Amino acid sequence: MPGITLKEVTKRYGDVAAVDGLSLQVEPGELVALLGPSGCGKTTTLRLVAGFLAPEAGEIWVGDRCLSAPGAVVPPERRRMAMIFQSYALWPHMTVAENVAYGLRFKKGLSRAERARRVREMLQVVQLAGFEHRYPGELSGGQQQRVAVARALVVEPEILLLDEPLSNLDANLREEMRFEIRRLHEAFGITTLYVTHDQAEAMVISDRIAVLRAGRVVQVGTAEDLFLRPRTRFVAEFIGKTNVIEGRAVARDTLARGAVRLRVAAADLEPGAAVTVSVRPHQVELAPPEDARTEPNRLRGTVRRASYLGDAVDYEVAVEGSDLVLRVTTPPGPRLRPGEATTLRVPPAACVPLAGD
Amino acid sequence: MIVVERALPVWIVAALLLVALMALPLGWLAWVSVSSERGATLAHYAAVFTDPRLQRALWTTLVMAAWVGLVAVALGAPLGWLTARTDLPGKAVIRSLVLASFVTPPFLGAFAWIMLAGPNAGLLNRLWRALTGADAPLVNIFSLPGLVFVIALYTFPYVYVMIANTLALIASDLEEAAAVLGAGRVRVALTVTLPMVLPAILSGFILAVLQALALFGSPAMLAMPAGFHTVTTQIWAFFQYPPRPEMAAAFSIPLLLATALLLQLQKLVLGRRGFATVGGRGAQRRPIPLGPWKYPALAAVLALMACAIVLPYGVLARAAFARAWAQPLGWENLTLANWTFTFLEYSATRGAVLNTLELGVTTATVGAALAALLAYIANRRLLPGHQALAFLALAPVVIPGVVLAVGLFLAYTRPPLVLYGTLWILFVAYVTKEMPVGYSQADATFRGIHPELEEAARVLGAGRLRVLREITAPLARGGIIAAWCFIFIGVIRELSASIILFTPATRVMSVVIFDLKEEGQFGAIAVLGLTMLVMTFATVLAVQKFLGRDVLGARS
Repeated sequence: MPGITLKEVTKRYGDVAAVDGLSLQVEPGELVALLGPSGCGKTTTLRLVAGFLAPEAGEIWVGDRCLSAPGAVVPPERRRMAMIFQSYALWPHMTVAENVAYGLRFKKGLSRAERARRVREMLQVVQLAGFEHRYPGELSGGQQQRVAVARALVVEPEILLLDEPLSNLDANLREEMRFEIRRLHEAFGITTLYVTHDQAEAMVISDRIAVLRAGRVVQVGTAEDLFLRPRTRFVAEFIGKTNVIEGRAVARDTLARGAVRLRVAAADLEPGAAVTVSVRPHQVELAPPEDARTEPNRLRGTVRRASYLGDAVDYEVAVEGSDLVLRVTTPPGPRLRPGEATTLRVPPAACVPLAGD
Repeated sequence: MIVVERALPVWIVAALLLVALMALPLGWLAWVSVSSERGATLAHYAAVFTDPRLQRALWTTLVMAAWVGLVAVALGAPLGWLTARTDLPGKAVIRSLVLASFVTPPFLGAFAWIMLAGPNAGLLNRLWRALTGADAPLVNIFSLPGLVFVIALYTFPYVYVMIANTLALIASDLEEAAAVLGAGRVRVALTVTLPMVLPAILSGFILAVLQALALFGSPAMLAMPAGFHTVTTQIWAFFQYPPRPEMAAAFSIPLLLATALLLQLQKLVLGRRGFATVGGRGAQRRPIPLGPWKYPALAAVLALMACAIVLPYGVLARAAFARAWAQPLGWENLTLANWTFTFLEYSATRGAVLNTLELGVTTATVGAALAALLAYIANRRLLPGHQALAFLALAPVVIPGVVLAVGLFLAYTRPPLVLYGTLWILFVAYVTKEMPVGYSQADATFRGIHPELEEAARVLGAGRLRVLREITAPLARGGIIAAWCFIFIGVIRELSASIILFTPATRVMSVVIFDLKEEGQFGAIAVLGLTMLVMTFATVLAVQKFLGRDVLGARS
């Protein structure tokens, strides 16, 4: 089972670099999600790996084979990959069984009976036994999705590529299929690249997430890494909700904005420099106002808005002595009302310094 | 930067064929129009633009085309609104009749109207004289108004299609929103509906004018006997003895520029708002009740259909089965002699039917294949400069048949390719002329096939050509067969290029009809005309089967 290596890959459309010197290492058997907003180059990257596009610079390796380099591109049909498309791309003129069996035609030395057996088994795996002779047009969206998965897995590809495969499903089915795809990945262990713009999907499905922006990887890591230790403002804001606080360092571990002082754990700030930190709303605590002391990380504030969300309450709190307005998420319980005074406790460990944007 | 592609030679050959097909005739046309034995010259243009006869032909053509456009809008726009938005009864039948008018060869319509409204023997005029005892005919079809009327009868479907398809996309909500705010019915029509269909009306007008400019058969049958020329008949006249191809070339260029300009104008009209705001596909449409106007409206529509279809077809059928077409109907006047004469005795007609069929089938087959290949290349961006291919494939829309024929005559009467005198030159003319029809149909077909369907097969191990064979071709089959049918219909009715390129051995049905008219063989013309109509309608039915919609339908 080989891994995938992208080395400084660049793909331009006219003057615009859709992928701009992108490097990424996918370990054998690993599932990496390419996550980013539309136009970040994630689908272009996937199509470069599939061989539909040729890079202007850089190389793409699978195991010890160099598949793409400027002027030397192995065509898609000789890459031993499989791909699942946003539109499913099921052939409407073929039955479910014919769709799934198609890739097996190109496997040498498979008998007809062997092919039929593999198709049958694979349809069982995706819970579509008995649908062999249906046409794609006669299936529901979720069933079509499963056929697409079966068609890709039955050829036992070295690499599996998925291009936003769940974006055409309704919300409930989408959540169910996330777990299903993760289950299949654990069962088959195929090295996989998964393109999505949905951070929850990426978090559920992948071993690691590569966040893309403007054709480059800005951070790679596990879902937890990215959520708790975002390195840039972009990653912090793209993965989950966050409060971004801009200020100036007044000590190696302290940020100031107006009268507010925030201690930042594990930081080595340069006094006088501009500093940006990210604080997740659920890591801020609210306390009764009498608790307030004028020490760092305990801030007086006034509730601006309180929204009950069922499993949580979402507050907007204006911080005294500055122009800061923080989002705070608390478990449901005794609720504060707009206009009430409160105290915010921001744990120093929850303040994550961000580099650049 | 191009992915190395084993199928590359196939794409390149198809592209080069197209370039040669377009560049040769147009290149020769332009060159001959400015060349003389003593090098480059503008003398032909000077001659063209100073000769008062030619100036008159130019002016007549412009006036005629403008009137055709106006009459076509006056007929087509209300009809489109009536069938798309109101509770007019019999809409399906009306739509079929409009379709019939759309595919009727205009020169057949013109011929039928000679039998109906010729000043002396025309049936309508004789009826008029019998009823009133007057000496003067009621109408004379051999006149500019007569010409405009007959051409408009077969061009109003262009306006109709634009209007009906646009109105069918406008949700009633848009009109009801205005009504809720207090606008009356007329006010809604004037302030909401009309502005939304205005681009369609303008565009339909331009299409009708384009048709009228390019037409040869109707003016040849109606204007020449009346003693005046249009540009197309004048260009044809330059090829009669003694031939003056350089004058024909110089006279072709202004016509070509006019049609190119008009088409550009149409794009401009359609490209602005209008169609962009007309989006609601699933939106509800409620028919507007016509109330007391229902039957008067129906009567008007039926009168139009009688003029376009019922009367002409009737008079053709009558002529085909009568010993003398102008004599009263009766058993003693009934005969099959016209049929046996046309198909068994008269060698010119028999040969022409065979030539037409042969050319129809080969042109449609080669044309549909080439159009499909080119549309595929452009859709999947297989070659650099694929936009230029699409442009070239659609370019012949602006080339009137007569002009194309002049270019082809100049290009293929000299070495290395001497095609003149063979069926090949007609074949080349038809492939070129029908390329836009075939290309747009093929293009719509490939647009409907998601590229991911092909990519899915490639990733699994199928090469480009194998994907084309196993995935794309089966999915495109219906659309490409429809393209074949469209080309076939276009070829069997083609007159304006054939009339310049034929030789005695290579006559086709339309040319023979034209010749027979000079000889006064009305019975044989009617037989050939009906045969042509039967072939056309059989093909139209085939299209409906393969596309699952009629020929007039909006491309989705």
